[in-house]
Amino acid sequence: MAFNFNWSPLTADEEFYQRAQDLLTTALNKSPKPPIIVDDILVTEFNLGSVPPELEILEIGDLAEDRFRGIFKMCYSGDAFLTLRTRVQANPLNTYLSAKPAFTSPQPLAAAAGLTIPLSITLSEIKLSAFVILVFSKQKGLTLVFRNDPLESIKVSSTFDSIQFVRDYLQRTIEGQLRTLMMEELPAIIHKLSLRLWCPDQLPREDEAPRESADDEVAVDPFAAPPLDAVDASGHVLDANELSSLSLDGGFELHPLFSQKNLLRLAALNDSHRTLSLFTPGIKSAMFRAWAGPMDRLDAGRSTPLAAQGLLRTHSVLGNSTTYTFTDAGSLDNGQLPSRSSLSSLNSTTMGLSVGAGRHPRTSRKKKTRVVNLRRKTDTASEATSDTGETMSETSSMAGPSSEPINATSIPEEPEDEEPIGSSSKVRFAKGPETELSKRLPLSMDIFTDPVDSVEAVVMSVEEKTKVPTGGQAKALEAGAMTPIRNPFNLDRKRPNGSDTSSVILEQAWIARMAGEIARRVYDEKQRNANFWAERNDAPPPAYEATQ
Amino acid sequence: MREFMDYIQSAFYAATGWNRDNSYSSLNATADALLSFPTPRGLRITLGSLATPQFATAYQLGTVGVVDGSVSYLYSTVSLRNAVAQSARIPLPDLLKSYKPLVELPRGTIGTGDFLEGWDASEKNTLAYGRLYLPQSMLEALVVKRFSPTLQMQISAVSDQTLRNGGTVLGMVQYDRQRYGIEGLASSDGGLMGVRGLYNFGGDAENLKTPYGSSNDVATGNGIGEREGIYGRFSTGAELYYGTLNKSGGMSMGVRFATLPTYRGTPLTATMTINPLMGNISWSYAVMAGKFCSLATRMDFNVYSYESEWAVGTELWRRRKSSWAVDAGKESPAPEQAPPPKLERSFQAKIEWRLDDPLPAPEPPEMQSAPKELPQAEEDNDKYSGVLKARLDQHLKIGLLWEGRVKSLLFSLGSGIDLRRLDTPFRSLGLEVQFSS
Repeated sequence: MAFNFNWSPLTADEEFYQRAQDLLTTALNKSPKPPIIVDDILVTEFNLGSVPPELEILEIGDLAEDRFRGIFKMCYSGDAFLTLRTRVQANPLNTYLSAKPAFTSPQPLAAAAGLTIPLSITLSEIKLSAFVILVFSKQKGLTLVFRNDPLESIKVSSTFDSIQFVRDYLQRTIEGQLRTLMMEELPAIIHKLSLRLWCPDQLPREDEAPRESADDEVAVDPFAAPPLDAVDASGHVLDANELSSLSLDGGFELHPLFSQKNLLRLAALNDSHRTLSLFTPGIKSAMFRAWAGPMDRLDAGRSTPLAAQGLLRTHSVLGNSTTYTFTDAGSLDNGQLPSRSSLSSLNSTTMGLSVGAGRHPRTSRKKKTRVVNLRRKTDTASEATSDTGETMSETSSMAGPSSEPINATSIPEEPEDEEPIGSSSKVRFAKGPETELSKRLPLSMDIFTDPVDSVEAVVMSVEEKTKVPTGGQAKALEAGAMTPIRNPFNLDRKRPNGSDTSSVILEQAWIARMAGEIARRVYDEKQRNANFWAERNDAPPPAYEATQ
Repeated sequence: MREFMDYIQSAFYAATGWNRDNSYSSLNATADALLSFPTPRGLRITLGSLATPQFATAYQLGTVGVVDGSVSYLYSTVSLRNAVAQSARIPLPDLLKSYKPLVELPRGTIGTGDFLEGWDASEKNTLAYGRLYLPQSMLEALVVKRFSPTLQMQISAVSDQTLRNGGTVLGMVQYDRQRYGIEGLASSDGGLMGVRGLYNFGGDAENLKTPYGSSNDVATGNGIGEREGIYGRFSTGAELYYGTLNKSGGMSMGVRFATLPTYRGTPLTATMTINPLMGNISWSYAVMAGKFCSLATRMDFNVYSYESEWAVGTELWRRRKSSWAVDAGKESPAPEQAPPPKLERSFQAKIEWRLDDPLPAPEPPEMQSAPKELPQAEEDNDKYSGVLKARLDQHLKIGLLWEGRVKSLLFSLGSGIDLRRLDTPFRSLGLEVQFSS
C-alpha cells in the first residue's frame, strides 16, 4: 500500500496562501496579546517552501473509504518561512505600568510616554519533529493533532537583530507562542479548513460541530449511552425490552449510577436552600448530561453548565423514586464499589430532598444521542471485549469448571491505546472546558486494571452464593451481588447456547453488554478519582444557578 | 468626579498643611483634569460618610453587566472637622476637578512655628485607608505618615490574587521645602526605584523668606497691575526611574509656567515635558477663559517615530439659576487668594451679587488653607450648580461628562463617543451617583 502526497500543487495555489494567511492572522490575534504588542499581528508573507515534510507511517488504526485514522512520524526541515508585521511598544516603563494596578502605580509624568516601533519578524529554518495523529472522516472532517511538542528549532530574525537583548527576548517569546499555536490553534485551523472542503453543511452551525465531536468522547458516559446491562435500584438486570422502554425521565431508578458523594452534597445543598445556611458545597465530581446534546447545554447555566446539569438530573431521579431504599445494596456490597459503602447514611439525608423538579422536557433528546454515538459504541465494545476476554478466562479458571464458551478469541484484538488520544484531541475544538476531557488519557489505563477488581468480586460472590452458575457473564454476577433477591431469568436468558449460528448474534449482544459494563466502570473510576475533576473546584457553587 | 475617599484624603492633606501640588507628578494636573478625565462606565452608587472627624467609610456598588462593589475605611489621627463631607454642601469645584490655580506658597521660614499653625513636633499625623473590592477580593491599603512639616511618607499596597507574587507595595518618601520638592519611591514590582524633583522659581517663589505684609508684598502682589508682563511661577523638574530587576528605566523632564492667583489677567498654565529616551515631547496649555469656562489643549510629538497626537478639552460651569454661560472678562475667581486682594475680590463679588453679599469677614493672614475655604466654598456653592466637560482627540473620540448636584445627590453622567464608528458611536455610557454625609 502506498500513499501519494502531493506537495507542490498545495503550495502553488495562490488562493490557498491567501486563505492560510487570513486564518493565521485571526489565530494570532485571538489570544490576548502581551502589552508590548500594541497593534494587530499581520501575516504578510507565508510560504510553505518546496521541501515537503517527511512522513513515516507508524500505525493505521482505521481505514475505509470515508474514514482514516493513523499515526505518523513527521520530520520537517524545509524552507518554509513566515513574515509577521506588528507594532511594539519600545518604552519598557509603559509596558511595565500597563499590567499594574493603578493604586500602586508610581504615576510617572512623562517617563511612560509611548514609542511604538513597527516590527517585522521573519520565521524561517523551521525544524519540526513530531508524532502526528490524523483522524479523518467524511462527516467530521480532518483532525490533526500533535502528540508531542513539534517545534525543534526555529530561526527568528527581526528588525532588532542588532540588539542582542531584544533578539533573545523575541526568540524566546516567539518560540513559546508558536508552541501554543502548533498544539492548540493549528488543529483548529486544519479542522476548519477540512470542514470547508468536505462538509460545508457543517460550517454554518460551527458552534455545534465541536459539540458533536466532543459528544463522541463522552460516549462512555452512562447518561449519553446508558449501559445496556443497566440494573435498577434493587439490582435487577434490565433486559432489552425494559431497557428500550427506559428513558432517563422514566420511573426507573438509576441510583447506582450516581456518585455517593454527590448525592450527599446535593442533599446538603438542598438543605442550604431551605435553611439560611450559608454553606453551599462545591459539587466536585458531578456527572453531567451536558455533553449529551447541544440542547442540553443551552438550558444550563453558562458558567457552570456541568454542575447544574448534575444537579438537575439528581433532582429528577430522586423526585421520582420515593420508594427507594439503599440499605440492602449497602449491606451486600462486598466492597466491590467502595463508594457505596456508606449508602445507609445517605438514606436519611436524601429523604430531605425535595420531590419536585421532574425533568420532563428531555425525553426527545435521548434518542438523538443514541444515534450519534452509534459508531463509538462499537469501538468501546471491541475494547471491552479484548480485555474482558482475559478477565473471563481468569474468572473461569478461578471459579471452577465452566461450560460456557469463551468467545473472546473470536474477537480480533484491536490496539486501542491511541484511540483516547486521538479522540480526546478532538475535544480541543469545543469551546467549553475541554481540558478536563483531554485528561482522560490516563483513565483509559484504569480500564484495564479495573477488571481485576471485578474478578475478585466475582470470586467472592461466587463463594458466597454457590447456587449461581459461574457463567461467563461477570456483569450478571456483579449485578447479582448487589441484590438479595435474584431474578432467575436474567441469567438464563442471556446464556449462550454454544451453537455456531447463534454465536454471532450472541457475541454481538455480549459485546454490547460489555461495552456498557466498561462504560459504567469508567464512570465509577471518574467518581473515585478526585483529581480528575479537581479543576471544577473554582467554579461557583451551582446553588445559585437557574436550573430550569 | 472625585471619589469620596479621595476627597477626604485631600481634606487630610489640607488639615495637615501638606501641599500636594508641589510635586513633579502633578505638574500636568490641570491639563490632565481637562483632557483625560475618566468617563464613568455602567452604574455606580457610592455612599460615603465622615462618621466622626477622624473616621470615614464609603461603600460603592456598581454594575457593568456584573455587580461589583467595594468597602473602604479611612482613619486619620488628625481631626478632619473642617472638611465638608455632606454631599449637599460639598463645594463643587473641590470635588469636580477642574482648572486649579496654583496656591501661593506659604511664606515665612520653616521651623519657626508660624509655618503651620498647630503643628506639634511630637505629633505624627497618620492616615490609614483600606479598600476591599468584593467579588475580586482585591485589597488596597494606604498609609500616610507625616514625620515633620517637610517630610512625609506614603506606603500603598495592593493585594490581589491575579497579580504576580500576590500583590505589590509602593513606598514613597516626600520632602517638601516650598522652593523645591523631592520624592523618592520604590516599588516591590520589578524592583522599581525612582526619584523625582520639582524646583520653583519666579513669582512668589522669589520672596518666600519675607513674611506677609512687608514692603515687598506691595511690589509683587498688590502692585501687579503696574508691572508689565504676567505674574506667575515657573516650575521645572525631572524624574528618573530604574527597574532593578528588569534592568529597564525611564526618565523625563518638564517645565511649567502658571499664573498665580494674584495675577489679574486670564489665568493660564503652560507645560512642556520631554522624554529624551523615547523622544517624546508634549506641550499643554490650559487657560481659564472666564469664571465659567476653561479650555485646554495638548500636543504630543515623537521625534523618533514622527507620531503626533493632539487633544482639546473644555469645561463649562453652569451657573445657578441660569444657563450655560461663558463669562469672560471677569477677574480671576480663584478660590484661594492672598488676603490683600481678597478685599478687592469681595468688593467685586458685592457688585455682582448686588445687596445680598455676606459680610466679607476679613480673615487673619495666618489662616492658610483648610479653614479659609469654608466661606469660599459657600460662595462657590451658590455660584455653581454643575459642570459639563468635553474633550476631543485626534482619533475623533469624544468624551463627555456632565456632573452636578441634584438635591443632595452628586451625579456624574458620562459617555465616550467614537466618531469614526458612526454605526455604534457610544463606546461607553455611565452614571455615577454619590451621597455622603
